[in-house]
Amino acid sequence: MRHCAQLARLVMAVGFFAASTGVHLLADDVYIVVNSTVKAESISKEELRSVFLLRTRTLRDGSVVEPVLQKSGSAHDAFLEHYLERDSAEIRTYYQGLVFTGKAEMPRQLNSDGEVIAYVARTKGAIGYVSSESSTSGVKVLKVLSSERKAERSLLTRVEAAYPEALWQRDIHGSVRLRLTIAPKGNVEEVELLGGNPILAEAAEKAVRQWIYSAWPSRTMTEVTIAL
Amino acid sequence: MHRGVTRFAFVCLIAMQTARAQEIRVWNRIVQVHGFFTQGFVYTDQNNWLTMNTSAGSGAMTDMGLNVSSRLTEKLRVGAQVYDRNLGKLGRWHPSLDWAVVDYRFTNWLGVRGGKVKTTFGLYNDSQDLDFMHVFALLPQSVYPTDIRDTTIAHTGGDLYGEIALPRRLGDMSYTVYAGHRSDSMYSGYPYLIRQWDTYLTDMGGLQYGADLRWNLPLRGLMAGASRLNQDISAHGTFVDFFNPSNGIIPYFESSKADWSNQFFAEYRRGPFTLVTEYRRCLRDQIILNNTSEDISDVRAWYVSGTYRIGKRVSVGSYYSHYTVTETFGGALAKIAPNATDTSEPNNHIYDKVASVRFDLNRFWNLKIEGHFMDGFANTGFPAGFYPKDNANGFQRNTNALVAKTSFHF
Repeated sequence: MRHCAQLARLVMAVGFFAASTGVHLLADDVYIVVNSTVKAESISKEELRSVFLLRTRTLRDGSVVEPVLQKSGSAHDAFLEHYLERDSAEIRTYYQGLVFTGKAEMPRQLNSDGEVIAYVARTKGAIGYVSSESSTSGVKVLKVLSSERKAERSLLTRVEAAYPEALWQRDIHGSVRLRLTIAPKGNVEEVELLGGNPILAEAAEKAVRQWIYSAWPSRTMTEVTIAL
Repeated sequence: MHRGVTRFAFVCLIAMQTARAQEIRVWNRIVQVHGFFTQGFVYTDQNNWLTMNTSAGSGAMTDMGLNVSSRLTEKLRVGAQVYDRNLGKLGRWHPSLDWAVVDYRFTNWLGVRGGKVKTTFGLYNDSQDLDFMHVFALLPQSVYPTDIRDTTIAHTGGDLYGEIALPRRLGDMSYTVYAGHRSDSMYSGYPYLIRQWDTYLTDMGGLQYGADLRWNLPLRGLMAGASRLNQDISAHGTFVDFFNPSNGIIPYFESSKADWSNQFFAEYRRGPFTLVTEYRRCLRDQIILNNTSEDISDVRAWYVSGTYRIGKRVSVGSYYSHYTVTETFGGALAKIAPNATDTSEPNNHIYDKVASVRFDLNRFWNLKIEGHFMDGFANTGFPAGFYPKDNANGFQRNTNALVAKTSFHF
């Protein structure tokens, strides 16, 4: 029993030692770089994840991309942690599962930021990641849109809700919470009532359907409160 | 044994040479080369398991694969893998074409692959041979029985597949729809099982078609899915007609009346933890003994597993695997063979509790040690790991097993 406990402690110590090495970078310390033929200026976190998990090869703008990874390093670890939520061994196992079942090929893995920049610069459709301290000349840096930042679209045209005459006479007021789905072009596609007076909601919905937001690479959602 | 050691040494030598050179250039195209080699050892304290003489300790558990693949255009990819294994009296070092595909991805939501394709069914059907992918030395045998891997592993035909991003942040879905022809090795579990009744198959296979749908839910790390597989299988060979033994050895034929499997699965990954559960129901209604009899096997199997990575080099895991089978007969066989429908009997179940530890010695090489604590042996006409031919003195109810495995890949 004592030996078992000692063995367990040894196993834990080995594991923690192995896990505790390396410099820790944040997501903002990693640049997503693409070949200049890629038309997109930004990419969502979900899209980035799909590309590097080899689930998709085409970005929303129609560009066919080829992911390229690094073999190790702080930028590599940070990218995997923040965007793929896997560590280096897990992502290797994931890729091997696809390769050995004939479902995909192993993505190219390079040794350094410099190699990634050079490869991405000369390879049509290549997409990779480097440390933000690296020179990015010859490649395009994509802005990564997180889910929260999708709501940052600016409202260009706002139409106020017409207050229903019947409610005006009865002096009924209140607010309505709505969730809007906004198309890439900026028009409001869908409106979902989250709370508030249903009678007021009809007028609020009619108004927000006329709102126009700034264009965006993908469909986004936002929540608004309309006071009447 | 000597032959196995020679192969092991040869494969290691090749692997060491190629481990750093996984890409070669052929006619100015990049060709990727990957391979794996796995060697296992199993010791059991009671019943012999998986056609090995495990009660004396057996190392007759070897498999290997080698694949090449190349991307010809942005959307077109080709590749193939050969696979060879020896598992006790199964496989017997007869190499097979594991998969050989031409894959064209039209768009994210539509791709097509044709040729011999690994069947997408449940979480691990297509990767069950890839020891280095899993924490466990043996996947839960209730759902992934390695002795009858041929029954689900691949089809010669085609797949349609794709990924669909769902609106309203509902995650994304992936689908696979497939159809083709399944062809069993004669060194697989079912042909081996029925040799005890002097039935020797020469071919077995048939139509296989189905679909798989999996959903990456908005809760990060959670995936759930379902698979369906339909088969129409026939087999030919010879047998001694045990209704009329005086007829001697005569041609044998059997075919499916119904053969389908459903599988439901969920996986949750959070940091070093992975939790998995799968449920499989397999119904096989086979017309056997030259259209004289009917054998209906109904398998219900599930497992729950958990793994935890302790740093980069060590992982631990455990699972509980639950397997029950009932068997009912019709026709001439019903007059002499009793139905077996009581799943509380050890003849009709295997309950397996497992604990495992995996050491990654380096990026290419791992070692696993695993303990199995099994109740039951499920001895019916549907193979389940324990075979009467390997247990001539009868079965014991409980079997404990120690499994050690090492795997090399590049």
